[in-house]
Amino acid sequence: MRHGPIIGAGALFSLACSWAALVMAPQLQLGALAPAPIPNTSDVHPAVRPGLAAQGAEVYRSLGCSQCHTRQVRQEALLFGARLNDIGSNASTINLSLPASGTTNLVNLDLLIALAKARPDLGIKNVTPPPALAGDTNLAPRLAQFTKDLALLKHADDKSAIVRPASGSTVNDLAVKLPAEILVKAGPDAAERVVKLLTDTGAKAELVIYNLGPDIERGWGARRSVARDFVNDSPVLLGSVRIGPDLASIGTRAPEKFAAPWKFATTNTTDELEHRLLVHLYNPRLLAKDSTCPSASYLFDTNKPSIRPAREPLPSVYPRHNAHALVAYLMTQRADVSLPEAPTPAVAKPAAPAGANAPAKP
Amino acid sequence: MTTAQLSSQTACTTAPSVAEVEASCRLPVLFLAFSGVKWLAVGAVLALLASIQLYNPTFMEGCPWVTYGRLRPAAVNALTYGFALQAAFGLSLWLIARLGRVTLTNTLGLFIAGMFWNIAVTVGVIGILAGDATGFDLLEFPLYAALPLFASYALVGAWALVTLHRRTERDLYVSLWFVLAALLWFPWILSTAQGLLLGWQVPGVVQAIVAGWFANNLLQIVLTGFALAVLFYFVPKTVKRPLANPGLAQTGFWLLLLIGGWGGLSQLAAVPAWIPAVSGAANVLVLVPVIALLVCLWQTAEGKIAETWKSNATFRFLLVAAILLLGVTLRTAVFGGHFTQFTFFATARTDIVVLGVFGLAALGALHHIVPRLTTGEDEMPSDGLADLAFWASLLGVLAIGIGFTLAGFKQGVVNGSAESKFLESAVTGIASNLKLVTVGYGALALAALAFLANFALALRRCCAACCGGAR
Ligand code: HEC
Repeated sequence: MRHGPIIGAGALFSLACSWAALVMAPQLQLGALAPAPIPNTSDVHPAVRPGLAAQGAEVYRSLGCSQCHTRQVRQEALLFGARLNDIGSNASTINLSLPASGTTNLVNLDLLIALAKARPDLGIKNVTPPPALAGDTNLAPRLAQFTKDLALLKHADDKSAIVRPASGSTVNDLAVKLPAEILVKAGPDAAERVVKLLTDTGAKAELVIYNLGPDIERGWGARRSVARDFVNDSPVLLGSVRIGPDLASIGTRAPEKFAAPWKFATTNTTDELEHRLLVHLYNPRLLAKDSTCPSASYLFDTNKPSIRPAREPLPSVYPRHNAHALVAYLMTQRADVSLPEAPTPAVAKPAAPAGANAPAKP
Repeated sequence: MTTAQLSSQTACTTAPSVAEVEASCRLPVLFLAFSGVKWLAVGAVLALLASIQLYNPTFMEGCPWVTYGRLRPAAVNALTYGFALQAAFGLSLWLIARLGRVTLTNTLGLFIAGMFWNIAVTVGVIGILAGDATGFDLLEFPLYAALPLFASYALVGAWALVTLHRRTERDLYVSLWFVLAALLWFPWILSTAQGLLLGWQVPGVVQAIVAGWFANNLLQIVLTGFALAVLFYFVPKTVKRPLANPGLAQTGFWLLLLIGGWGGLSQLAAVPAWIPAVSGAANVLVLVPVIALLVCLWQTAEGKIAETWKSNATFRFLLVAAILLLGVTLRTAVFGGHFTQFTFFATARTDIVVLGVFGLAALGALHHIVPRLTTGEDEMPSDGLADLAFWASLLGVLAIGIGFTLAGFKQGVVNGSAESKFLESAVTGIASNLKLVTVGYGALALAALAFLANFALALRRCCAACCGGAR
């Protein structure tokens, strides 16, 4: 090859390809991403940080906390389940208590069949009314219908080679203590089918979701981090190595989920968490002997300031403005708000995993 | 055939002599080489101090200027911009002049641009220590250092391209393909990244994507490209054989350019899934061009490796650099996925490419170039110091690579299971590996000092020869 311009043009073309794919395309896909409304509130997530927390973001950047801390919760899987909240009632619901007893013992017979369909691993018992009710003319046709349904169920079971255990727990026991988890950690289709089966009988059931993975189990967040969590950040400090724990949700971390676990002593948990973080900033080794988190003691003063904005971490150690700002910033770190592309267990709306933002798998 | 002969004849008549070419290189190349290796020493010391804090957090505690979060980026950026890129510019100028048989354009201008580059790097490193880092890996220099940095590069790059254009040897040898590609690639990625991150400030995680794209291109195309340019020039030269398989080299070159720019984003989790997936695939595919290029070098040197290793100081560095290039590419391709995400394993790629692949290749080349431009001899004045530089840098890169890799695997286990205790397994558990890393940075600093001492000896001998009138 003797023509420099050809090599140059070829090089620039190759670069243009990777630029178009990895700079232009993400910008087109994510550039217009906006905060999402939080269900049942007038707030949005992520919220615009209050002034102090915004200053704290600058302290976080300036001290290079992201050299050791990521802010990206990972999630291995998103699974679904069905929860029964109330047995509800319909035409086939019967009361097994004596009219005079003043109590009710409702049994939704259709629901029992639906539960049996949902849980082929459990047996199902026939329903026998107490002897005093044996002559009840209202009950008889219902129970007769139920016996027929049981036979149909048995037939269907045989057809699909389902063998129910003869002893042990039965679906009849499931609905005794509510809410009951009918289906746990299943695919979205299976869970939705079960919810529909149950709700069709008049029962109240909901879809539950399970965010799974070591990060979530560690309590580092209720769900994975997604692009939307960062739309208000600039610079976006995601971090690339976890020398310390992930901080994406440090503002909502449960005390027992810290690297050095602790307990709330009072009910003013926000105040306690803030205080804990201040002590951590002043000297992490007061809280975890082996911590290698650097002490930011230079954010503290030994002279008493004229106004004391908050508690001091230790007697006669007074946080400077930047220490407050940094703690305020850490307190705004939360990955517990449910988003359409990353639901959290708190909400039970059917949520199909959005293709565009599915969890990053290896 | 006849036209080629003719043109090379006409070229010969107008071409400057080797002595003239080397004379034109003397000032800028020696300056860039000397200040580059100076930054290697500085950067290695900064990285060493930072690494101590990872297992001994009370070390240098209480001063924000030297806290880990500032010291580490200062070290990495000093090594990348101060050492690697600066040495790469010096080597490129030399390769263009030698292979193109042309005297450098505007040597004084190149020298001054080089000085400004050094000032910009100094300002940038101090800026990071003062707390002005941007927070993006490998782009940490604040705007007030990044702009002068870009301006000085624009001058160096422009004069390098003008020199290339004026070459009398029209055929472009493989090394010059890589030099040309890297010289064009670097300003594009730097201006794109600085423009989008510090200027326009694209919203949200796109920032992290742009920064990752930049860092990968810098490592995979620009610095690896400069390292390959050095390998393709010096391997045939030191084994005294022509390049074995130019066709394969050409294929490797184009494939590397096409594939190499797509990797590097697999460290991102909070982005659409296709991005890390695409990058992961590219990390594997890039093995093809890397192996093609290395096979080409292997075929050239085959059978003469042991012999040249003993007789030639430069070749030893090159051999290790080539093995490290294979190693670092394989390592990312095989283990680069979910398991090593967010661990030292992944972040150590920067160290291995900057210090190992590029660093060793550059030190090797300088052991050849510096004596020629100073004393006019073939070897550095002190064999002992050359040996020390080689073994110390080899030990250093291996210790850093192995230490970070083992620590990364342990962190990967912790990331993969909520059962293992974070403090025990991921903090105290990796201290011994990180001590190895400290040793590695120490050895590298020693290697840089050994080379600088040798350099100084050569300069003194050269001055004595010129001023003392001995020659
Ligand atoms: C040298 C690496 C390093 C740097 C830099 C660093 N940290 Fe840490 N951090 C750690 C380690 C290791 C731990 C775990 C031990 C502990 O809890 O103290 C930790 C723990 C924490 C925790 C407690 C989290 C938990 O789940 O227990 C917080 C909060 C924290 N760091 C905040 C910060 C802030 C704010 C900065 C920036 C000023 C910072 N860190 C800089 C290494 C670092």
